[in-house]
Amino acid sequence: MRHAYEIFGKLDTPGGSEEAWKYVESDLSFDFDLVDTPGDPLPEGRFLRALTADAGRATLVDGHTVFASGSRLTALSELDDSRQVEIHSLLPPDHDRFAAARTAFSTDGIEVEIPAGTVEEAPVVIDVQAVTPGASFPAISVRVGENAEGSVVVVYRSPAELDALTSPQVGLHVAQGGRLRYLAIQNFGFATTAVIHQRAQVGRDASLRVGEVGLGGRLGRLDLGVLLEGDGGSVEVVGLSFGEHDQILDYRMTITHRGRSTSSDVYLKGAVEDRARSIFTGLLKIEKQAARSSAFETNRNLVLSEHAKAHSVPNLEILCDDVVCGHGSSVGPLDEDQIYYLLSRGLSRARAERLLVKGFFSEVVDRLPVQGPAQQVLDEVFGRFVEAQAEGRLG
Amino acid sequence: MTGLAIRDLTAGIGTSQIIRGLDLEVPYGEIHALMGPNGSGKSTLCHVLTGHPRFEARGTVSLNGNDLLGLDVDERARRGVLQAFQYPTEIPGVKLQDLLVEAGEERGIPPEEMTERIERLAPVFSMEPFLERAVNDELSGGEKKRSELFQLAVLQPRVALLDEIDSGLDIDAVRQVAEAVKSMRAPDVAVLMITHYSRILRYVIPDRIHVMVRGRIVESGGPELADRLEAEGYEAWRE
Repeated sequence: MRHAYEIFGKLDTPGGSEEAWKYVESDLSFDFDLVDTPGDPLPEGRFLRALTADAGRATLVDGHTVFASGSRLTALSELDDSRQVEIHSLLPPDHDRFAAARTAFSTDGIEVEIPAGTVEEAPVVIDVQAVTPGASFPAISVRVGENAEGSVVVVYRSPAELDALTSPQVGLHVAQGGRLRYLAIQNFGFATTAVIHQRAQVGRDASLRVGEVGLGGRLGRLDLGVLLEGDGGSVEVVGLSFGEHDQILDYRMTITHRGRSTSSDVYLKGAVEDRARSIFTGLLKIEKQAARSSAFETNRNLVLSEHAKAHSVPNLEILCDDVVCGHGSSVGPLDEDQIYYLLSRGLSRARAERLLVKGFFSEVVDRLPVQGPAQQVLDEVFGRFVEAQAEGRLG
Repeated sequence: MTGLAIRDLTAGIGTSQIIRGLDLEVPYGEIHALMGPNGSGKSTLCHVLTGHPRFEARGTVSLNGNDLLGLDVDERARRGVLQAFQYPTEIPGVKLQDLLVEAGEERGIPPEEMTERIERLAPVFSMEPFLERAVNDELSGGEKKRSELFQLAVLQPRVALLDEIDSGLDIDAVRQVAEAVKSMRAPDVAVLMITHYSRILRYVIPDRIHVMVRGRIVESGGPELADRLEAEGYEAWRE
């Protein structure tokens, strides 16, 4: 702990100059006091309400686990020390300033365990809240045992005006033959700075399906790393984001293929309006021994206002010949040919644009690994567009 | 005259003129064929009538005496000017059913009524499997043509512009498409069918055939004109 604190003190505040923080030029302050005592939990929101059946629920407030119910869930503070240390060393403290801070200051978190051979149909639901001005570092660990199957939904949120820094850590571990569906809805308030570190490890013949919905945060950053360790493992990452006002939504993904015959598919769509910015840097890394693997990456971006910006940087690093890889990325406004076609059917321009935006996101919403709150997600992004259109903030 | 009337129409992109003083009338209740070699301006005429913003047009185009050229694309469509495109745009993520319901709402038609129309007409065009699929996305050539004609049938055109509706189809598909075109004939509908083959005219006998070369109508006549074109080609009208 002391060691991590010293590193925290030495590391620079993230800025635009380093590669890992490129395009994130912002005047955000990262200077916050740690929240010692959790505040009052928020009332249940629409995403959680949509999850009617669950296999357990937990509520984390300001980095403290205030509620956990269900046999699959254990607060980290109740685990033995060595396990706690293991969970907290998911990332080396010198990964960045937030990882260092978390190692030094992390308070509590939750572990989800789906034991070997168990099939759990309903999702485990984790409500991660920041409600108090200050910094918090919650940790989530999900372990799916051999040949087990389960799903987890995490909803991140904070009040609209909350000036806070939160840096959650998520570790996903899917053992041999296991299957995990994981959906995260990042819906922090627009004044909250959120830096999420997420790491996943996929065993032999195991499968991981990840859904990432990015809606909130003044800065909403997701640093995601997936390691396909065992032969025959697969991962699918499906995500959507919608940035407005002064939001910065920043996605950094690395998928590493180590096992043979592993497959990955990344499919992300985003829209930005007003002065919002989005960043996608996705690295597909195929290690030397990962023969007969396939890796695909698609990132599509809609830029809906003149001063909004989207950066898309897909990368491949292939050290093995016997693989199939592909990537595609696009950044631009709505397609004029598609608009013309809809106009020629008698739709007004405004209606045509709405239909296209809805269609753009429907494609990815339909693929989210847990469908429970899918309609609410689509309503949210569509609602944002409709409001911006009505207020004349587009174009 | 009731129907579509075009007088002294010129149109093009920038300084390049593609339509050069074209006159054409298609009365309600009639089906006309517009034929001509590649590059004669047939497709451009379709886009100009539909209102594509890329083309600048001068002259007069009216429907029942009401000017069309001053109207935007969507306004023309709501007045009944509808085109079946030769190469319809694919719109991933947007379901055909949703497009038609939205098009209905824009015209003040309640969704239930539109849904009823869609369900009644879909079997006629064998379109049931495509209603919940994305518009034109991953459709074969023949499926696209059927989809275009189906959309027109649902949206009830006053002027139907059918651009190369028979191109790229096998003979069975041409027959199917021909049946659909014939079913469009109605006392308050003008149909203009653009084609450069006379093949479809064996199944749809048009009231008039117009020959278009270099942006003008160079000859108009009855259905027998198709036989002459079949025998002689367009050579006679080229300078």
